[in-house]
Amino acid sequence: MATRARVVQMEQPAAKGGNLLLILVGLSVTFLLIVALLGTAKAGGILFSESNLLYVALIFYAAAGALYMGFGVTGTSRYVTFASSATAIGLLANTLAVAHRWYQSGRPPFASIYEMLLSFVWTVALLTLIAEKKFGVRIIGSITMPLAVVCVILMQLLPSEVRPLVPALQSTWLHVHVTLAMLAYATCAVSFALAMMFLIQDNFQNESFLAWTSATVGAIYVAIVATRFEHGGLSVTAWDASTKSDMFLGRGMRLFVTVPDLGWLFLIGAVAAIAPLALYFIGRWRKDASVFGIANGAIFVSILLQVVVLAAFALRVRNASYPSPDQDGFFPTSLAASPFLLGGMVAGIFASLLYLMLLWRRSDLEALLPSEEALDRITYKTICIAFPLLTFMIATGAYWANRTWGSYWSWDPKETWAAITWLVYAGYLHMRITRGWRGRRAAYFAILGFGVVIFTFLGVTYLLPGLHAYA
Amino acid sequence: MALGISSIPKRLHKTLGNLRTGIVLLLLVVVASALGTFILQRPVTDPEKLAQAYSPTTLLWLDRLSLTDIFHASWFLVLMGLVSLSIIVISVDRFPNAWRFYARPYRKTHVHFRGSLQKKIELPINNTEDGLNAAERALKKSGWPVESIADKSEPSLYSERHRFSVMAVYIVHASLLLIFAGGIIDGVFGYSGFMALQNGQTSNQIELRKGGTRQIPFSVKCNGAGQENYADGSPKRWWSKLAVVQNGQEIEAKEIVVNDPLVHQGLRFYQASFGSTGKLAGLKVAATPDTTGGTTKQSLAMPPPGSPRETTLPFNQPVQLDVNTTVTLAEYIPDFFIRDNQIFKRSDDPVNPAFRLQVKNAATGEDAKLWIFPAYNATAQGEKASYTFEYRDMDMGYYTGLEVSHEPGQWLVWGGVLLMGAGLFVAFYLVHMRVWVAAITNQQGNLVLWVGGQANKNRDRFEQKFGELVDNIRSELEGANVVPRSAKKQKPELTLAGVK
Repeated sequence: MATRARVVQMEQPAAKGGNLLLILVGLSVTFLLIVALLGTAKAGGILFSESNLLYVALIFYAAAGALYMGFGVTGTSRYVTFASSATAIGLLANTLAVAHRWYQSGRPPFASIYEMLLSFVWTVALLTLIAEKKFGVRIIGSITMPLAVVCVILMQLLPSEVRPLVPALQSTWLHVHVTLAMLAYATCAVSFALAMMFLIQDNFQNESFLAWTSATVGAIYVAIVATRFEHGGLSVTAWDASTKSDMFLGRGMRLFVTVPDLGWLFLIGAVAAIAPLALYFIGRWRKDASVFGIANGAIFVSILLQVVVLAAFALRVRNASYPSPDQDGFFPTSLAASPFLLGGMVAGIFASLLYLMLLWRRSDLEALLPSEEALDRITYKTICIAFPLLTFMIATGAYWANRTWGSYWSWDPKETWAAITWLVYAGYLHMRITRGWRGRRAAYFAILGFGVVIFTFLGVTYLLPGLHAYA
Repeated sequence: MALGISSIPKRLHKTLGNLRTGIVLLLLVVVASALGTFILQRPVTDPEKLAQAYSPTTLLWLDRLSLTDIFHASWFLVLMGLVSLSIIVISVDRFPNAWRFYARPYRKTHVHFRGSLQKKIELPINNTEDGLNAAERALKKSGWPVESIADKSEPSLYSERHRFSVMAVYIVHASLLLIFAGGIIDGVFGYSGFMALQNGQTSNQIELRKGGTRQIPFSVKCNGAGQENYADGSPKRWWSKLAVVQNGQEIEAKEIVVNDPLVHQGLRFYQASFGSTGKLAGLKVAATPDTTGGTTKQSLAMPPPGSPRETTLPFNQPVQLDVNTTVTLAEYIPDFFIRDNQIFKRSDDPVNPAFRLQVKNAATGEDAKLWIFPAYNATAQGEKASYTFEYRDMDMGYYTGLEVSHEPGQWLVWGGVLLMGAGLFVAFYLVHMRVWVAAITNQQGNLVLWVGGQANKNRDRFEQKFGELVDNIRSELEGANVVPRSAKKQKPELTLAGVK
């Protein structure tokens, strides 16, 4: 079955205008690089600084993402060649950034959420290249590269200065534990991407993809509105530019400022994001397929509004001062103070765009992807790699905790959620091996597993503070 | 009848031995654990914070349902116990079959068995013996162990690899039970608590985390502790010099830091925190004999006139300055203010301290009181004293916070972890592969070498291996007159030719 896809691929004629995207991407990469180079030269900075390297990585990852997506839409194989070269260059810059930081701090970059993301992106890019070269899953970059781009953008906003290690982190186990965690999480990310592709190959209906996309984006916006809506305004953390950190009212209590009227815009954005889902349910209920067409239109509106909301957010929050409900006076804020709001919004736009790609080019995509059997099998294999990694990650974490906190298991939120992740994947393996769950049910399980991974990685850090407060 | 006494254990066994029950139990554990991270938990969270987060009625109900301490609640322990039981029952139920398969592998082939195999191929041969010999050579060359099965009607070969991987799943589950067992032992026999020691202090009491105190069979003495900072002021290193004291003797000493505890008699002492007691441990002053007053007579025991002598004054303990004179640090006010010519305390922060010294001279009967205000670089004297004092430094008392834990079950946990690692490796990465070779007469009536194979996982990798093996057998059959390279060229065709 795997051969089928490859044969069809070869028969695919090169799409017309195949050079346009290449030229566009090439021009923008060159332009951005030259602008960055001129900027650095003018400021008299160091050419090979970590931030410059990261910027180069960002440019090339973005270019690779665009080319992979272009390949997904047009099926021009040449795009992939360029896309993987771009990924490789991005990976090289990323590697140099990691090395630079390692050299500068004298320890592997695992100590803060910024450094974790740095390593995570590196692993994701590497795994993308491996999946492409070794397993022939060429389209995977169109999911993993946007993920990498979101992560690098997040990193630009997070405090990045090399902080000395607090006493609890001064341990060899830090490196072992975090390396395993990064490998495990990145492998889970790949299994997620593969499971999504399986759903495409398994004739998972466009409407269902629409519903899930809308639900995901809607969840992001509803979460933002639910936690940050403040009398029509949007409350964001105040930012102290001199120390490059959030402002605090007291111990562990962040100072929030309210950006007036922005809350309403987010509310509209949330409604627009949920609208396709609502239309989907109406279509299902009335058994009227024409409603789905309207729902697809609603996705357009949603994307448009998401872009507007993002732009308004960026413009209003960027280095401005706003009043705080908790303290008299105006306090400055910055985009850097809200990395996760921003990350969530960018992720929402990417998810919607991926849906559009699917909607327009489904048949081409189906021809390009490996067969559903192959995808099912590779997903399972990836999880077979991820599961032992997760196990060792938890075990080394426990051993380290035993040396530092005095107990190998203290039901800290991070520990508990790592255990939950482990249990979910254990459930996947049991259902697959003893119950023979294949195909769609297994794919759902793999997707759920990655959702839990993301929550464990980022959600727990920001929502459920505990002992594991570093990242 | 259905609920007869004898049927209850059977039903229980049947329910617990069902994978679905196991999955439901695991799901309940997941839900309960997730709840435990969303609802603030009792021992970790301060009561005030809980009161702040929940209304009194909500808190009352959360407490009643023991949702504020899920992970130590009896129902959670019962749940974990049921999960363990379910794992045991399921494993015990399935074990005999697996063991039979492991202990008595199916070596012989017959018609029905051959038909059901995942991979099979027929190669024409001239005579049985040559064919089997060629196959044996090929198998050995590829590193497969070969067993000849003597059967008069159908002589055959059997070969397998990694049969042990069949049992790996039991190892993984056993290791999980081992970890649980370690956890249970620690829950029952283990304890953990806190011990705060000041410099020079000895203690054998720990404050248990659950509340209350506990006496340990030996004492621990702190022979010094400290904190080192980075340039930006954040802590870099905490250390404590600890000594184990038994019957008044120091029998073991170690400098502990975060990540490197002291272990003695199964008790572990961790460096957990370091802090100021807020109390003054000593005042460093420079004392200069006052020569202008002429009230004191020069003596040999005294330093030359006018030269200051640095000394540290502990609280309320007289310090000899010369033969007759003593000075005592009598009073310390961390943050003072003066009103109506009286000194009052404003706060406990040592930001604006004041010290009262009492200078006594046994010979002259002098008993002078004086104050030192370091922030103003001044002293105030009630009566004339034979010495003047200059402030140098103040030593704040500090304590080292030690986390103490006794976890007798932890070795079971680590053993379980290692076993699980090994088990997972075998389960996921070692494939049980079997190959049968037999010389048979096929349906067309030709003598052929039948080669069949099966793997319990990673089928595509096995297909590749099987293809290589068949290649080797073929080239062995063709003998020396075939150049091996041409056989290799045929490989892709052969791998694809494998019957599915």
